[in-house]
Amino acid sequence: MSDTPSEAPVKSILPEWVRGPQDFVGGIAMMAVALFALWASSDLQGMHGFSFGAGTAPRMFAVLLLLLGGAVALVGVLRDGPHIAAYSWRGPLFVSAAIVFFAVAIRPLGLVVSAFAAFLIAAMGSHETKWIEAIIVGGCLTIGCALLFPYVLGLPMPMFPRFLIQ
Amino acid sequence: MELFANLAHGFAVALSPINLLMCLIGALVGTLVGVLPGIGTIATVAMLLPITFGLPPVGALIMLAGIYYGAQYGGSTTSILVNIPGEATSVVTALDGHQMARQGRAGPALAIAAIGSFFAGCVATVLIAVLGAPLTKLALAFGPAEYFSLMVLGLIFAVVLAKGSVLKAIAMIVFGLLLSMVGSDIETGASRMAFNIPELADGLGFATVAMGVFGFAEIIRNLDAGAEMSRDLVQQKITGLMPTRKDLMDSAPAIVRGTILGSILGILPGGGAVIASFAAYTLEKKIAKDPSRFGRGAIEGVASPESANNAAAQTSFIPLLTLGIPPNAVMALMVGAMTIHGIVPGPQVMVKQPDLVWGMIASMWIGNLMLIIINLPLVGIWVRLLRVPYRLMFPSIVIFCAIGIYSVNNAPVDVVLAGAFGLVGYWLIKHDFEPAPLLLGMVLGPLMEENLRRALLISRGDWSVFLSRPLSAVLLAIAAGLLVLAVLPTLRAKRDEVFVESEG
Repeated sequence: MSDTPSEAPVKSILPEWVRGPQDFVGGIAMMAVALFALWASSDLQGMHGFSFGAGTAPRMFAVLLLLLGGAVALVGVLRDGPHIAAYSWRGPLFVSAAIVFFAVAIRPLGLVVSAFAAFLIAAMGSHETKWIEAIIVGGCLTIGCALLFPYVLGLPMPMFPRFLIQ
Repeated sequence: MELFANLAHGFAVALSPINLLMCLIGALVGTLVGVLPGIGTIATVAMLLPITFGLPPVGALIMLAGIYYGAQYGGSTTSILVNIPGEATSVVTALDGHQMARQGRAGPALAIAAIGSFFAGCVATVLIAVLGAPLTKLALAFGPAEYFSLMVLGLIFAVVLAKGSVLKAIAMIVFGLLLSMVGSDIETGASRMAFNIPELADGLGFATVAMGVFGFAEIIRNLDAGAEMSRDLVQQKITGLMPTRKDLMDSAPAIVRGTILGSILGILPGGGAVIASFAAYTLEKKIAKDPSRFGRGAIEGVASPESANNAAAQTSFIPLLTLGIPPNAVMALMVGAMTIHGIVPGPQVMVKQPDLVWGMIASMWIGNLMLIIINLPLVGIWVRLLRVPYRLMFPSIVIFCAIGIYSVNNAPVDVVLAGAFGLVGYWLIKHDFEPAPLLLGMVLGPLMEENLRRALLISRGDWSVFLSRPLSAVLLAIAAGLLVLAVLPTLRAKRDEVFVESEG
């Protein structure tokens, strides 16, 4: 059961005056997003006269998010709230790995290889996976998708590895 | 009568073989999704968005609409038989529906749910047809200031009716607005926050974000809980589908009440099917002569919420079709679908695309009819499908989503972005931020900016234009009033009470 979330830590690393760590961290993260957006849109033109420049609306929304994030964090300080939920690593890791692998492999290796391999990588995300079963289902799904997307839906995409076709 | 002419035209469109097929596929896929816990309606519509590219626009939207109301049917089936709500909208149905199934009355419970949904669907279809034209006329009188205020009101509604913290929901909307700013500026063409990544030049793809935040994030979250969910199937054979005379007498008024309540809540922005079913159940319990029957197999407890969620699912198309404003996340995806096919949602759609609008409305009625006919005999198959273990389902969904996103632009970067948004969505769930307002903000962002800019340009930079134009002032006043009410302690308690019902 290594991938089930462990018990939430009783002692959090946050200082004691933070009474609702979940909100506090959430609010701080929103503020960080807002600051990043402010920085990213800082090179854009602002108001000229009474008409909006390209940067006006993004900066307006970013300031709004900064204030809201601050308010959420403040709630986390003032009011008792839940602890930060425990994360598990297995699901997110293998699902992300499968997605990234698919993205990298689809052009050079084609749909058949990348979809099947990505299926198996994703299947590692659960400790209950039975491999024979996964290989059979993965194979069927790959064949299904290889027929569905290019033929039924008319969305062309590479099917087989490039080096085999040439 | 213009109305009948329009409806007749709609039926002519909807009854063409290809559209009938689309409607059937949509309804079936919707039911399937509704039955299977772990994939929500939003995720499915997002998932299927890419594959509707190759279809004609009318067929594509008919299919996507079918998924939405089909899911309401399917969700009730699992709620009643297995006590696992396949959809959030069927959570309350499980309370009494499963009790009825345990008492050997699964048949009548399923039948009443289907009949209630069908009745609600018929009423909602007529309502859309009746309200469509006048609301469109109203919308044509709207200037940019009114549009902006209306969108503010819509977003505030979404916040007030959403579950959880008001503050966090507003933060999510603004986050969504900010995400929608990525890409080229509509007026000046300047590249905004794109970091010279060519794939970001056109902005973040709507399907990409939706698929990440709803599809991938949901999968990762489900894996947390352990893939194996306990499934307490009702094993005995379902006999006697037909409800008794008494069942019908008991549930008829409940169906009518649920339909009315659901229709109203569906039109209101931010409402949608979930809140409608909760509210309908609470209402039934409040007005019942003997409230203690609820939770022990009261047939009204099935009839009313099931009618309400179906009515709301359909009437939420009204603001989308007439004003071009999506009232909830699924409708936001429908906007995405329309935009993909080059249709700009708004009041002009009714006039310029009568095929699309009336065809879709007529198809809803046909779809509801199909559902009631195909669903009851298929109950056995749906239940068997529940035995497909999640450990096989989740990698399949991941791959299907990945191929789907790739096919939109043939861009591997989109797939990676969706994965990244999956992790963002997972983080948001862990911190109790609701992703649905984010999606709404993202859809409305460009529209809001455009109207804000235009309004200020017309008023020569005078911000008071939003208050000096009466219609706009009224809309903003309602929004402000709602926001105040939402944070007032008494209403908060009420609002929380409605949601607590589900855990009871």
